[in-house]
Amino acid sequence: MKILKEVKISDNGFVFNSKTGDSFSLNPIGLELIKMISEEKEMEEIRQEFLSKYDVDDLTFEKDFYEFCTLLKHHQITVQNNSLEFN
Amino acid sequence: MEKLKYEKPVISKITAGVPSKFGLPAKQKIISEIDGTKVSDLIEEYGSPLFVFSEKTIRNTVAEARRAFETRYPKVQFAWSYKTNYLNAVVNIFHDEGSWAEVVSGFEFEKALALGVNGSHILFNGPEKSAKDLELAINNNACIHIDHFDELYLLIETARKLNKKARVAIRVNMDTGIYPMWDRFGFNYENGEAWNAINRIMLADKLELIGLHTHIGTYIMAASAYAIAATKLANLFMATHRKFNHWLKYIDLGGGFASKNTLKGAYMPGAETCPSFDEYAEAITNALISSEIPHENLPALFLETGRALIDDAGYLLTTVLANKRSSTGRRNMVIDAGVNLLFTSFWYNLGIHPSQPTSEYMEETTIYGPLCMNIDVIRDAINFPHVKTGDQLVIERVGAYNVTQWMQFITYRPNVIMIDSNGKTRIIKKKESLETFKNSEAKD
Repeated sequence: MKILKEVKISDNGFVFNSKTGDSFSLNPIGLELIKMISEEKEMEEIRQEFLSKYDVDDLTFEKDFYEFCTLLKHHQITVQNNSLEFN
Repeated sequence: MEKLKYEKPVISKITAGVPSKFGLPAKQKIISEIDGTKVSDLIEEYGSPLFVFSEKTIRNTVAEARRAFETRYPKVQFAWSYKTNYLNAVVNIFHDEGSWAEVVSGFEFEKALALGVNGSHILFNGPEKSAKDLELAINNNACIHIDHFDELYLLIETARKLNKKARVAIRVNMDTGIYPMWDRFGFNYENGEAWNAINRIMLADKLELIGLHTHIGTYIMAASAYAIAATKLANLFMATHRKFNHWLKYIDLGGGFASKNTLKGAYMPGAETCPSFDEYAEAITNALISSEIPHENLPALFLETGRALIDDAGYLLTTVLANKRSSTGRRNMVIDAGVNLLFTSFWYNLGIHPSQPTSEYMEETTIYGPLCMNIDVIRDAINFPHVKTGDQLVIERVGAYNVTQWMQFITYRPNVIMIDSNGKTRIIKKKESLETFKNSEAKD
């Protein structure tokens, strides 16, 4: 998953997508997560960091992570793949 | 090292638009206990979903309504509207507080008798009264509120057959300035039908006309409409006296007082817009006292308030089953209580609240019930904090109509409990099981 180059993320959780003109707000955990994604860290690495830092179990985090990624895709913040290429 | 508190990661689109002049509530309301008992303890003991009634709230609400009317008018009599909630434990509290019974079917009539209500303290309303029902009502000396001419003649025939006199009132429908005008029940005031019915009753030797009844609608937001209704009934009351030298015993203004629930499409919350008991009482009693009825002949004022007396006392506890996203990214939540239990969700934006502190981040959410049916939507759009599977929520103001109009559909109906005035809990209606159905179905 790759964040679009047109997307700018500020340190206070404000996101602007110059490609679509949309802006977004993140909560602190959302900000931390999107930064890791923008650094192109793998899911497994992100999971380990979160599990060691936060009081959360692995299944809850996995569910939340994928839901967050779905929203990033929905809001066109990440590079879009063809959803019907089942690979 | 101690781990940091986790919160679900959230990204919310910022949308420009007309800002609300009321803003957002400063804090999400949390209902963690009811009458001092923790929501989590109730669910642990009685399961989820769970209807909870508060005896304390019922008694306090009745006291508030009685104070509003009894301090303004000399003779006031409440009659509990069975159809609003006819669970025995609930009905018994209203009777204990002095209410008569207002019933609208043979079933409800039998229920009132079985609960020990004196037949003469039963007001029998409604368009469906069979000859058998009327016999029961006459034999028990009930007040029969006639809905239409066919019923009037069936009643005359039944009373003749029993060789007994029936005590009757007529239901009157009228224009009180509210929309929609209810004219499907009773006899119309403006076209003279109500006066015509009074004349026919006064000439029937087996009928004794003792009262006049109206019920102008439901969830009436304008107390002034009741003043118009009271004035029109007072006109009929005096006309009856002038023509027949007969003083009627009571005027029944029916029900229809709004509860604090918020109607769908309403701009402001119901709790801030619905009139208080004092406002309704002021409108009704002023109209009667300032009518031409001499003060020494003022009739008793009957009230059949249902919704406004019981809605606040009922809660539905429910559990989050799932959070999911729609194809458009919208947040959807599934809870274990559906429209089969919450008939009022079709016309109210019911208040739904977490039972424990949650994230401060809110997101517009659609809340679905558990039924495998597309219509099972409890809230179309509610700004709701992030909660997770297994979290418990409280739906407030569900005391009216839900436990009478609920459906056994797909799932069993749940336990209903009462928290009594001392804080003790008990089951007042047991959860259904397969046995419930085996007992009434043919064993094919």
